[in-house]
Amino acid sequence: MALEYLPIMAQSGAPKPPRILVSPSKPSWCSVIKPVQQSRVALLTSAALRLAGQQSFTPKEDLTYRLVPSDPNAGEIVIDHHSGIGRVPKQDPEIVFPRTALAALERKGLIGERSPFHVSFMGGLRRHAEIESELAPAIAAELQRAQVDLALLVPY
Amino acid sequence: MIGTALDIMSKVTPPRAVFVDYPVGRTFGPPQNRTRNEEVLSRSLAVLPSFSSSGEIRDLHFQWEADGSRAWENELQKEMLSARGD
Repeated sequence: MALEYLPIMAQSGAPKPPRILVSPSKPSWCSVIKPVQQSRVALLTSAALRLAGQQSFTPKEDLTYRLVPSDPNAGEIVIDHHSGIGRVPKQDPEIVFPRTALAALERKGLIGERSPFHVSFMGGLRRHAEIESELAPAIAAELQRAQVDLALLVPY
Repeated sequence: MIGTALDIMSKVTPPRAVFVDYPVGRTFGPPQNRTRNEEVLSRSLAVLPSFSSSGEIRDLHFQWEADGSRAWENELQKEMLSARGD
């Protein structure tokens, strides 16, 4: 049986009220238009991670995002997320943000190509309406401009 | 979506989701294990296009420990609670 995280999060987040989980108000489904082997793929992460030289995320309710180069050799990754799970992924961000693995799948022809960048933002925000009306559309526009076919969200 | 928290994923209706039964914050395996990173990613990408409706979650049946031990859950809870009030 899978571990239940919501009670742990409620305990660790007290005395703040438990999180309210919200599904999108609009349909989020869209059809797959290309085989994965022909698709341009981007990673989306809610780890609030970035290149060391990029502007840091501010704690908690930061609604900005970072475009992180998909080249695994582009620079050191820093995780700004305040979660208590951060000790291990900060040692090796690839376990939540697999840039190297995605590059390997590209070389093997298992994906078409990597997007030139991946997208990072802060998870655990409570400003749900602004996420849906501002942050998500801004990220979607970035992905459309980059002609990304498949965006893979890895929650942190 | 590739996620490790099944109870949370079940409440937010992701359009396509695979569940990896690893500790949260280790979605693609233990640190410095590039083979495992690639295996989780490739198996997820292989299954995601076959979904036909929103809200479905498929279990990829990964196990954190080879023997199926869930001792990691206690350690993870301690880790999460140690940041209490952060």
